[in-house]
Amino acid sequence: VVSQGIPEETGYIIFLFAATLALVITLRLVISPRDPRPTPEKKAPFESGSGSWIPRTDHQSQRYYPYILMFVVYDVIAMFLFAWALDLRALGAAGTVPILTFMVVALVPLAYALHLAGQRENW
Amino acid sequence: LPDPVTQIVQLITSTYFLEIVVFPGLVSIAILGALFTWFERKLTARVQLRIGPMYASPAGGILQGFADIIKLLFKELIIPEGADRFFFIMSPVTALIIGAALLGLIPFAPGVQIANVEVGLPAFLAIVTLSPTIVLLAGWSANSKFPFIGGLRALFQQTAYEIPLWLSALGVVMITGTLNLTGIVQFQQNNGWLILPQALGAVLFVVTSTAEMERLPFDLPEAESEIMMGWQAEYPGPLFMLVQGPAFIKLYAFAALFSTLYLGGYLGPAIIPPIVWFFLKTIVIIVAIMLFRSTFPRVRLDQLLRQGWTTLLTLSIVNIVIAYFIVVGVPAI
Repeated sequence: VVSQGIPEETGYIIFLFAATLALVITLRLVISPRDPRPTPEKKAPFESGSGSWIPRTDHQSQRYYPYILMFVVYDVIAMFLFAWALDLRALGAAGTVPILTFMVVALVPLAYALHLAGQRENW
Repeated sequence: LPDPVTQIVQLITSTYFLEIVVFPGLVSIAILGALFTWFERKLTARVQLRIGPMYASPAGGILQGFADIIKLLFKELIIPEGADRFFFIMSPVTALIIGAALLGLIPFAPGVQIANVEVGLPAFLAIVTLSPTIVLLAGWSANSKFPFIGGLRALFQQTAYEIPLWLSALGVVMITGTLNLTGIVQFQQNNGWLILPQALGAVLFVVTSTAEMERLPFDLPEAESEIMMGWQAEYPGPLFMLVQGPAFIKLYAFAALFSTLYLGGYLGPAIIPPIVWFFLKTIVIIVAIMLFRSTFPRVRLDQLLRQGWTTLLTLSIVNIVIAYFIVVGVPAI
């Protein structure tokens, strides 16, 4: 492992960031225009002039939710493949059968899920 | 010299400080961001037979990016009615921190690297995985329809392209047998650039990373002509600058990662120093991705998701099989 812990300069770097941020905020207080009493039009969300019609608690289609679940599962599976790939040279052909089993177990449900998705009009 | 002065001089000239603050850290990112913003506008203008920015300096408006930064930084801060102020302001800040963390992992030259992490490649990809959440929060907190649609689109497309991205980078790990980015470069020093055995993987990597950084032809989350810059629509001047920052940093970091993985990183004939080689390769990739913007039309969301989940995933598995046979060898039949 290459890391050597946090060097002592880190504190100064954080101080430098804070100082830069403070400088920008001070300059903003001096230079930037401010509107003490903005009109309702100014505070309204920008919707190309069509007027706001979406209430704050809007509902959206959850149709993509299964894909998000699939993403979580297959991202973790991709992570496991990294562990195998790292030792591929040492394992050689000996690791093939387990990883093939793993890939088949992982990818057959994916293919089935995509088959179901493909039958729908809307992705 | 009195003691405090010596200490300050020592601090400022220490490698760690220089790397984080000056190069490859924050000051250089800001300067490169301003220059590349100008360059992209100029390049797009040339492709479309326009002139592009030209007033901000005698040399073809090269200071346009810096002028924009100063202008945006001091504009009025307008937060829309009903927005969730905390998430609205913190999302761009978080995105900026995440983007800067990506560049800390890249080896720019031998020894010029902020964090030489043993698991550099997965760390990079894992940090990238955080960004759809941030974009969704940014779009959701604005309490406006276009940002919300844009945020959802970003979530859909970045999750769909995440897995092909991981799997295309997996081929490199299989061949090199290391997750350390410096180790991957050193492998290429002995065995040649990986773009040749991993040509398919390289193409997949460019396609998926273009989708991850929301650039044309995959810029659905911020499609100007459909949803008015999408999740960025409500951001006022200073926050808009913070939103644009990560967009550039992601482009820079992905181009740098591409040249590290496939083009040998800082390797090259010793006539030019390694850092120049690295930047030559990275800039070629950046220009190529910028040219996508002026050459390809935007795809539809359903096409994007269908291709991501089917074609790209299949091709990335084919790429793994290719890498497997390169390492293990084709069995004699």
